[in-house]
Amino acid sequence: MSRAPARNGAAPRRPGDEDDICPVCKSSRYLNPSMRFLVNPECYHKMCESCVDRIFSHGPAPCPVAGCARTLRKARFRRQTFEDLHIEREVDIRRRVAGVFNRREEEFESLRDWNNYLEEVENLTWNLLQGVDVKETEEKLDAYKEQNEEGIKQNAAIESQENANTEAQFAAQKEQARLRREAALNEELDERREKEEGMREMVDMMAKGDGDADTIARESQKVVLKKSTARRTAAEKSRQQAAAVPLFSIQGLKPLTQAAPEKEYDPFGGYAIKPEYYYLRDHYEHSWLDSARSDAQITAGGYDVGEYCARAMMEAFGGLGVFVQDEIGGRQMRAEKGVGTASAAAAGGGGEEGVDGDVL
Amino acid sequence: MAISPVVTYDATSNIKVTATKAKSLAVRTNSISNAPNAPPSKPEKGRELAERLNDETKQKYVKDKKLGEGTYAIVYLGHLRADHSSLLAIKKIKVNTEYRDGLSMDAIREVKHLQELSHPNIIALHAVFSSKNQNLNLVLEYLPLGDLEMLIKDSEGIRYGTAEVKAWMGMLGRAVWFCHENFVLHRDIKPNNLLIAADGEVKLADFGLARSFSDPYRPMTYQVITRWYRPPELLFGARFYSGAVDVWSMGTVFAELILRFPFVAGNTDVHQLELICNAIGTPTEENWPGVSKLEGFLKYDKAATIPVRGKDFYLSKFGTAGPVGVDLLMSMLALDPRKRCTARQVLEHKWWSSDPRPTAKEYLPKKGGGAERMGEDLKRRGGEIEDGRGEKVARKLNFDVGKS
Repeated sequence: MSRAPARNGAAPRRPGDEDDICPVCKSSRYLNPSMRFLVNPECYHKMCESCVDRIFSHGPAPCPVAGCARTLRKARFRRQTFEDLHIEREVDIRRRVAGVFNRREEEFESLRDWNNYLEEVENLTWNLLQGVDVKETEEKLDAYKEQNEEGIKQNAAIESQENANTEAQFAAQKEQARLRREAALNEELDERREKEEGMREMVDMMAKGDGDADTIARESQKVVLKKSTARRTAAEKSRQQAAAVPLFSIQGLKPLTQAAPEKEYDPFGGYAIKPEYYYLRDHYEHSWLDSARSDAQITAGGYDVGEYCARAMMEAFGGLGVFVQDEIGGRQMRAEKGVGTASAAAAGGGGEEGVDGDVL
Repeated sequence: MAISPVVTYDATSNIKVTATKAKSLAVRTNSISNAPNAPPSKPEKGRELAERLNDETKQKYVKDKKLGEGTYAIVYLGHLRADHSSLLAIKKIKVNTEYRDGLSMDAIREVKHLQELSHPNIIALHAVFSSKNQNLNLVLEYLPLGDLEMLIKDSEGIRYGTAEVKAWMGMLGRAVWFCHENFVLHRDIKPNNLLIAADGEVKLADFGLARSFSDPYRPMTYQVITRWYRPPELLFGARFYSGAVDVWSMGTVFAELILRFPFVAGNTDVHQLELICNAIGTPTEENWPGVSKLEGFLKYDKAATIPVRGKDFYLSKFGTAGPVGVDLLMSMLALDPRKRCTARQVLEHKWWSSDPRPTAKEYLPKKGGGAERMGEDLKRRGGEIEDGRGEKVARKLNFDVGKS
């Protein structure tokens, strides 16, 4: 809806042509050289300042452009930033959406999540821009705003803080560059002065006439060299110090953190094997087992009749509570889940298969 | 013995298996879920149902490159035909010269027990099929990060502490406990049978020597378990034993994880016993009632008897495990199998809840062994040590022992 009129308003783009005539009152720049055009982000119809004053001074009124019946308020009229009103509108919408969807990259655990989020936001924005499902999109936007009020506020605060920091950093960088330049200039001046001084001293000494000229020249050369080396190392040091200050920082995705509190280590890995349909006694009386219990040849090797009894009991009661149909269903699901370590990882995580509580 | 495993799933065995275990497996999934679609009694185009099912399974997987080859098996990298991103290891068991008329016992044991056990710390067997020449193919979980032995040996590159040892031992303990709870003896626990999955999970592999718990008076063979990890009762020739043999192996693995070299590494069975006497103590009637009745018991001089080592000995050697950890180690390395703790008691030990907490599996040290290492590990037969040291290890199963 809002798009067609906006195009009408912005279509005459030949500079200095119709731009100089107010589309509402038709007064031209020729008659009124100080004419300023204003737009309202409600419909982006352009009109001159005097028209705005005339029509909207007494409260909200419908847009005077034919075919646009939107109610406009004076307070929202403003000068356009971009020559193209399409761009003006897009920037406004993007700013609004970005104000609500202001989550940050650090909040996401993986690049994929972050990209998905960005795509979602871009979809919403695009819908608003193109006027597709505007109502639903607005609802979504409002719902998100309501749900994430706290987070939005926090992120906005972080962002403004960050902007301030960046500005401060830029200023600091500029200051540093200025100091460096100054230092270099001073250094150069110092060097020149010292050279001149050394020269003068040498000439003085030669004039006084103590010692021969060659030695004096060599000595003073040495002094100059020493001084300049000392200065250079000092300058180098200060430069290194300046370089050590980080100029910018790169922030990325949030590091993977398992927020879940660590569960107590379960040596059984979530598996519990308990007989469900019977109790296992410590001792089962049977004459056939007696000599297996007492024969040293058998017992000394560690053979345990109890294990045999446990097995016999398990096999006797084994099938109870097993429903073949369910089993097959479960199996097919498992087969679809895939092979390799994926299933192992799943099983390792929860031990889902073992806790069926079946007859084992 | 039928050659294709699918054939063995006739109606009766199906019910029995489901009833006893209530655990599912991929192999049976195929046979059961496909059965209603095709009436079992009617052969299609002259082919048997079993063959068709086998072909269906075979069609589901594609072999890629070869990862390793041994005398016993060839290991391939593979993937699902439907999903190229899935990774699998396909272990093709060679037709053995010793077992011309059927399958090698190792393969049968492996299939029989692996398909029953579904646990995150036990290597998963997805399917079994036979290819041409009636070679048996096991479709196994792909575990690309090598094995524990590799980590133990690389003392330069890999550093780990008690928390990591605890994490690994926890995973091993769960695997063994799960086997025993399902009445399966693994009988070849050692660091290079503990493979590491991409997520750091340790998985017990190689069930080539596994068997289910024996009935009373039914003897088992004592020529099992790689020598360094073999408990004294097997060295003494006991034919009636229990899950305690696996617990001993766990204990030696535990010790090896701490020491970073094999704890008792004997060259012969007698040497192995000697080392155990030195390290733990001489078995006598006092500390192990009835031991002298065992067939292979070796008499020791009274003078040369070494008393069972006390806690301070272990503390000096395995101090990093802490006093509680040393307690656990001692109970796992008890000479008398009846005094040794069971796999369940191992997991119930208070060491697991004491500090430090076991490292989460994603933070465990890794050393990309890569696919080749898995190939190496899987192609081996049970009871073998690498590096041509096979001759030091009793390997051949003496089946006559069981029959007598």
